[in-house]
Amino acid sequence: MTQPADAELAIETRELTKRFGSQTAVNSVDLAVPLGSVFGFLGPNGSGKTTSIRMMLGLIAPTSGSVRILGRESPADLAGILPRVGALVEGPAFAPFLTGSQNLARLDSADPLASTRTRSARVAAALDRVGLAHAAGKKVHAYSLGMKQRLGLANTFLMPRELLVLDEPTNGLDPQGTREVRNLVRSLADEGTTVFVSSHLLAEIEQMCTHAAVMSAGRLVAQGTLDELRSVGIARVELTTPDVGAACAVLATLGLLPEAYVADAAHLVTAPLTGDRRPAAHEMVAALVAAGVRVDSFVIQESSLEDRFVALTGEGFEIVQ
Amino acid sequence: MSRSSSLGRWVPAIAIPALIVTGALVVPLQASASSDLPDQTPRQLLEFAASANVPALSGTIDQTSNLGLPDLSALGSVAGGAGGSGSSGSGGTGLSSVIDLATGSHTARVFLDGGNARVQVMDHLAERDVIRTADSAWFYSSGDQTAVHVALPAHDGTGDTARTAPDGTWTPQVLAEKFLSEADVSTSVTVGEDTTVAGRSAYTLVLTPKDTATLIASVTIAIDSETGLPLSVAVDAGADSPALEVAFSQLTIGAPDAALFDFTPPAGTTVTEQALPTKAEIQAKKDGSQKDGSQKDGATRNGAEASGKSAASAAEQPTVIGTGWATIVSVPASAVPAEMLTSPLLDTLTQPVDGGRVFSTAVANVLLTTDGRVFAGSVPVDALLAAAAGR
Amino acid sequence: MSAAPPRRLGLALLGTEICVLFQRKRTWAMLLALAAVPVLIAIAVRISSSPRPGRGPAFLDQVSQNGLFVAVTGLVVAIPLFLPLTVGVVAGDTIAGEASNGMLRYLLIAPAGRVRLLWVKYVAAAVFCVAATLTVVIAGLLIGLILFPVGDVTLLSGDTITVAEAIPRFLAIAAYVTVSLLGLSAIGLFFSTLTDVPVGAMAATIVLAVVSQILGALPQLDWLHPWLFSTYWLGFTDILRQPVSWESFGDNALLQGGYILVFGALAYGRFLTKDILS
Repeated sequence: MTQPADAELAIETRELTKRFGSQTAVNSVDLAVPLGSVFGFLGPNGSGKTTSIRMMLGLIAPTSGSVRILGRESPADLAGILPRVGALVEGPAFAPFLTGSQNLARLDSADPLASTRTRSARVAAALDRVGLAHAAGKKVHAYSLGMKQRLGLANTFLMPRELLVLDEPTNGLDPQGTREVRNLVRSLADEGTTVFVSSHLLAEIEQMCTHAAVMSAGRLVAQGTLDELRSVGIARVELTTPDVGAACAVLATLGLLPEAYVADAAHLVTAPLTGDRRPAAHEMVAALVAAGVRVDSFVIQESSLEDRFVALTGEGFEIVQ
Repeated sequence: MSRSSSLGRWVPAIAIPALIVTGALVVPLQASASSDLPDQTPRQLLEFAASANVPALSGTIDQTSNLGLPDLSALGSVAGGAGGSGSSGSGGTGLSSVIDLATGSHTARVFLDGGNARVQVMDHLAERDVIRTADSAWFYSSGDQTAVHVALPAHDGTGDTARTAPDGTWTPQVLAEKFLSEADVSTSVTVGEDTTVAGRSAYTLVLTPKDTATLIASVTIAIDSETGLPLSVAVDAGADSPALEVAFSQLTIGAPDAALFDFTPPAGTTVTEQALPTKAEIQAKKDGSQKDGSQKDGATRNGAEASGKSAASAAEQPTVIGTGWATIVSVPASAVPAEMLTSPLLDTLTQPVDGGRVFSTAVANVLLTTDGRVFAGSVPVDALLAAAAGR
Repeated sequence: MSAAPPRRLGLALLGTEICVLFQRKRTWAMLLALAAVPVLIAIAVRISSSPRPGRGPAFLDQVSQNGLFVAVTGLVVAIPLFLPLTVGVVAGDTIAGEASNGMLRYLLIAPAGRVRLLWVKYVAAAVFCVAATLTVVIAGLLIGLILFPVGDVTLLSGDTITVAEAIPRFLAIAAYVTVSLLGLSAIGLFFSTLTDVPVGAMAATIVLAVVSQILGALPQLDWLHPWLFSTYWLGFTDILRQPVSWESFGDNALLQGGYILVFGALAYGRFLTKDILS
């Protein structure tokens, strides 16, 4: 096995495309997930996240394009990839007539690299790690959705993994469970595991991830570190003042395009701060004060990821086709 | 890239069925492919076959009849009265046995060792056995769990009887001998292409009637190149497939397990003791068969033997009209077994014609006149009607 | 870790697969139903007057004389419908059942490997064929021992063999019937790769088994009969001839092998190219 040059990427897709009939579910996606990152895969429902994940894991064949996982070609070298990858895809699924530990033992026996001798110990450890030790002997049909979700996570911990692919891992979990998942992901990341988390919830990604990518209508519309994503957004200056006209005039002299709003008792003036028209805050404050503008508050509002997300994927519930 | 690799994965799915179908079509062709044997004249081949002496063998014989009869297997079990769940499991004797053999196909195993013989007709979920030893003969039918025992005089065990299947199953020997004996001026005898039967290379002898009055187009006999034993007999009546074919599908030369000939009826079997005809009756029968034995219909003779009835000892003897292939056998009304005329099958099997009813097959026709006489032969119905009206 | 994974036949997976099969209540319910066939036959014969020879299923008249024939009669009755029914359920469930509850994606990610999973699933279905056949035979032998006298066995040829000689023949019959069901299992496996609805695959498999037998009963289709997978289903009685006729056993094995190859190849082609969307 020769180490490929771009070994620093855990997942790399090139023009990955999947068409079902006339419908294009994933459209020419170039994803780059760095090793060691906690990578958030954002997008509304139906944006092609799960289809992309299924292609990465070899469950469905791409219509065109290529996938490299941990430096190996997928699906050509799946046997070399999958034992190093733990995955939770589109919710947990288990044989309801088997117990939790029987289900895990079954999946473990499907891994040709997993040792039969250590199986029961590893199953017990994985169950313990997700807090299901007490329910190990219960049949899965008696599990709650949250318990099944934990069992699905336990499945990914059966063997040491280099990459975890978690599709909506907090679905069905209560707030406490959600926090546990976050802590698990952090501890895994601390151990050096690359974690690829998909979610339609921005807050979840913001709390866990170092990197993110945004999908919309089958296309990858943005990716990078969280800071990079935020920086692409537009920061604004916001100030409240009774002297609206003067304030607008001062900001205009600094090259900004101010707008004035009158809301309640406060008079708000805002102006976007774009790359070439971005005077330092102290410059603006000094100019305002020099012009005798009474400033009640002054804020530089950095763009939020949410603004960015909404800008990229659209508002509301409608699913972009 | 994915398109081509997914197509590649379908390759075995297409290749394996294609290979199997090809194999299934090609292998039988190769199996029957002619083997290259030294050329023989018909006379040499006839002598070779006549000199054949295989006292001991085990083999499986497949018999297929394609006589143009309706499927009568269901009726056959009605007539037999005791067919098992299997359609051809009828253990009945007489007419139903003949019908059973004349329709469809059968497989039988044959074991021969000197004077001992055993024939097993392998029915569906059942079996009919004939075991012949020097001093006795057993007929056993598993379908209705009956057995018939005939004690034989000790001196009667000759090879000739052993080679006659008493159950009415036509072994290659029986049929071949019948036709070889008729190879006279009425028949042109030629040597056909060499063939392979039951994995053994064989010569073929083709008998073509010179007389166009007969229904039979030709008779092909495969003769084992090693022993001269007839391996298959096919009667061709002009259709695509032979009207009647009897062939070994498997054959081992050599003595079978002697225990096979040691038969004791199992517990729970209904055993019938059948008396043998007296010596005077045998003598009378022998005289009769010396006169017209060679032309007598093999099926009728064997059928009568299978039923264990001494039907032929009646005073009235059948008469023969014509010679060679177009021979017509005429049986007077008094000699016709009553079973034949009262059988409920009669109306189903026969078609009405002027002056009686006709039982018609691809190789032979039988006319039952309204006055109870029977005319039979390998000739068209018109010839039988002419014979019936002719005097 | 970078070395290629060792090639294994998936024996560990096969082991758990067989365990899973026999941990299902459904499997046991089907085996119980199969065991009921000879038991009901035996009880019916016991409480009624002994049947006339030639009436009812083959060998029924032998039962009251020799309890061992309950097993044979049970097979004759179970082969046309009950055995294909249970085998159809198991074989039709192989892949579609996993797809329907979503386990298929996790087994493949595990990674079971598609070829290995197909192979393991087929072998597990074949193991069920063995279990199903043995259930009928053993239940028949046991109930026969309890309700009827047991003694020397009368073969179809009229010869008689001892019980000790008969046991290997009964095992050979079980082997014959098991082999007979392997072709149907391969068909079920193929159907199972076509759908995510297990009931559909099961029904298709069972319907095909019935259709094959109906075609086999039509004399007009003589030319087709040697190609039907059900052709030799009742040929196991050749084991009860003296000497044993192995010819149909060999023909049957060849035919079933052909079905396994053809439908195995089709299942392979289908399953390896299938997008797992369940």
